[in-house]
Amino acid sequence: MAQEAHGALHDLLAVRGVTRRDFLKYCGSVAAMLGLSETMAPQIAAALEAAPKLMPALWLNGGSCTGCTESIAQVDTPDVATIVLDYLSFEYFETIMAAAGSWAEKNITKRAEEGGYILIYEGSVMTGQDGYTLFVGGGPENEGAKKGTEILAEAAKNAAAVIAVGSCAVDGGWIYGYPNASEATGVAAFLQKEGIKTPVVNMPTCPVNPEWVVAMVVQLLIVADRDPAKFLEVTPMVKRTYTDAVTGEKVGLLMPKAIYGQTIHDNCPRRGHFENGEFVTELGSKEEAMGYCLYKVGCKGPQTFTQCPVTRWNRRASWCVESGAPCIGCGGLNWVDNNAPFLKRTSDIRIGDTGVQAGTIGAAVGAVAAAGLVLHGIGMKAAGRIGDGPPMEEMKAYDRKRLAKKGGDK
Amino acid sequence: MAGHPHYREAHPLIFVITHWINLICMVMLAFSGFYIHYPFFDGFMGVARGMHFVAMYVVIINLTFRIIAAFFVKTAQSLDSREVDLDIKNWLPQEKNRHQFFETVKYYLFLRKEGVISAKYGSLQKIAYLATIPLTYLQAYTGFAIYGPTMDWGFFSGGLDLVGGPMNMRIIHYLGMWVFILFTMVHAYLANIYNFAPSKLIFLWKETVPEGKH
Ligand code: HEM
Ligand code: HEM
Ligand code: SF4
Ligand code: SF4
Repeated sequence: MAQEAHGALHDLLAVRGVTRRDFLKYCGSVAAMLGLSETMAPQIAAALEAAPKLMPALWLNGGSCTGCTESIAQVDTPDVATIVLDYLSFEYFETIMAAAGSWAEKNITKRAEEGGYILIYEGSVMTGQDGYTLFVGGGPENEGAKKGTEILAEAAKNAAAVIAVGSCAVDGGWIYGYPNASEATGVAAFLQKEGIKTPVVNMPTCPVNPEWVVAMVVQLLIVADRDPAKFLEVTPMVKRTYTDAVTGEKVGLLMPKAIYGQTIHDNCPRRGHFENGEFVTELGSKEEAMGYCLYKVGCKGPQTFTQCPVTRWNRRASWCVESGAPCIGCGGLNWVDNNAPFLKRTSDIRIGDTGVQAGTIGAAVGAVAAAGLVLHGIGMKAAGRIGDGPPMEEMKAYDRKRLAKKGGDK
Repeated sequence: MAGHPHYREAHPLIFVITHWINLICMVMLAFSGFYIHYPFFDGFMGVARGMHFVAMYVVIINLTFRIIAAFFVKTAQSLDSREVDLDIKNWLPQEKNRHQFFETVKYYLFLRKEGVISAKYGSLQKIAYLATIPLTYLQAYTGFAIYGPTMDWGFFSGGLDLVGGPMNMRIIHYLGMWVFILFTMVHAYLANIYNFAPSKLIFLWKETVPEGKH
């Protein structure tokens, strides 16, 4: 680990050939993400560069496609995000670490005993099959063999904070979607169930946007002086409460407000066309190229709370809606069930194993009612009630019966 | 019902007005609602949303006013009388409707011939009208829960959590519209099936008085 006068990051940047200008520019966009003025960029840069030591971190993969790692570890060319993340000293990172076998597993145990680290968790927590998933150490009979859920519990217990990256870690993500055969759940729900009190910061989208992770790391290291308690205190959070179907826990998910506080629809560049009533009806059409709104082809932007339009994706090149595809709501909770079919405006209502659109239900019930009323009207006509109405009873049926009974008694 | 008189005392002018306001708002809300659900022609989204947002406040104020007025305005308690009492009594259970619920159901299912004795509103009718009150407020609740400026309020975000997020809330709001459409279909059908005297009264405030009555 480089710990000279310039600090660790300076060297990392130099080695990767990132110019000071690029770095400053990047710090400016990080500042914007944190809700700070861009004039803070030099301070952020200086603080990052001067910071003397790296922060220990563990990166665990749960039930995941490793897309979040892919999204972050863009190794082909040096990217500032990757380098800033290098500022965390990962002592365990399955996909990219050199260590293997029991040696690697010991890194977790050792770090968990020493404390003073943050845990980044990617992927869902798979509680199905008695937890015999993500199993390490050969068979259960082997010494040191552990279930995936045990590793998470061990690593989370002593961590200063857990960052759940990607929707899978947040609430189970697409794996949580119907029928959820692996009984996947989110980190926060799982830890709450296990009685582990370590705070969890949730960062959904599928995969997680690397810039947001960087923003949070900067927030932790600079604004909060590497103190996770202070981090939670100084970072405005939104709390999204949901009841997890797997653990039955009612969970309040903390998400950084600067990133997850507003809908995509609030900040979308196509929003003007939405208000004008100019819509894309077919993907690949002229309207799509003209930047018309994607509402009719199923855009879930109005229900999805992320800063995608502001931060954008793939090194800030573009993002789903800008590139002409409707937002599929990957940053929402239970996002597949709540947003599929992706090209329809509303999600399906599931009746048994089939999905039905609300519009179909409404139209069907309305048509049945209309037919029923027509039939009833024909009946009313046949019964001769139309015009002046039916002949009226002289006395209520109830009273008639009672009278008759009384009469019978006599 | 049977060729009975339709006196103004049944629906004083103020309630003719509240009914008009409600009807106009409901048509606007349902039309703009259909459009917001799926814009079936171009160029109208801004107007549709504006229309929806105006009408939603009006409909809530109108309904709330209608409820309060029930405690102050006097209306007829009976179809063939001009005698009035506080309107709220027409909304609470009345002696005239006792034991008549199943008889009314039987009547509409053609299981009996004669019309049933009832107060100004029959028992089924009263239940249906009363149901529009919680329904409208529920629709307002689900509406504000998907409305940007209010969805973060604890009162609404709690509901969002309960139903599993804003998408589900929108679907509930949308299905709520269909409940109103069903109500209105049945309501308009029953109001006009015998003759147009009830509509003349509630819309034009015109009395229909059979011969021999006054
Ligand atoms: C009474 C108070 C009401 C409030 C506060 C309210 C509010 C809203 C809001 C905020 C939206 C979303 C608009 C947008 O995001 O652009 C909406 C949509 C809608 N509203 Fe209402 N509304 C109310 C009543 C009604 C009524 C009475 C009906 C039907 C008769 C109705 C039918 C609809 C429909 C169908 C949608 C579209 C839902 C979708 O598929 O996304 N609303 N309403
Ligand atoms: C096609 C549209 C409509 C027609 C033809 C219509 C007709 C009528 C008539 C004739 C009455 C008087 C009933 C009587 O005295 O027997 C009435 C009352 C009433 N209607 Fe409607 N109506 C319509 C739409 C609606 C809608 C959309 C609603 C609510 C969602 C509604 C709610 C009521 C209520 C609550 C009353 C009781 C009036 C009061 O005492 O304030 N109506 N309507
Ligand atoms: S493309 Fe999506 S997010 Fe953008 S304005 Fe249209 S509906 Fe909203
Ligand atoms: S725009 Fe929607 S689908 Fe695309 S990354 Fe953002 S939340 Fe996910």
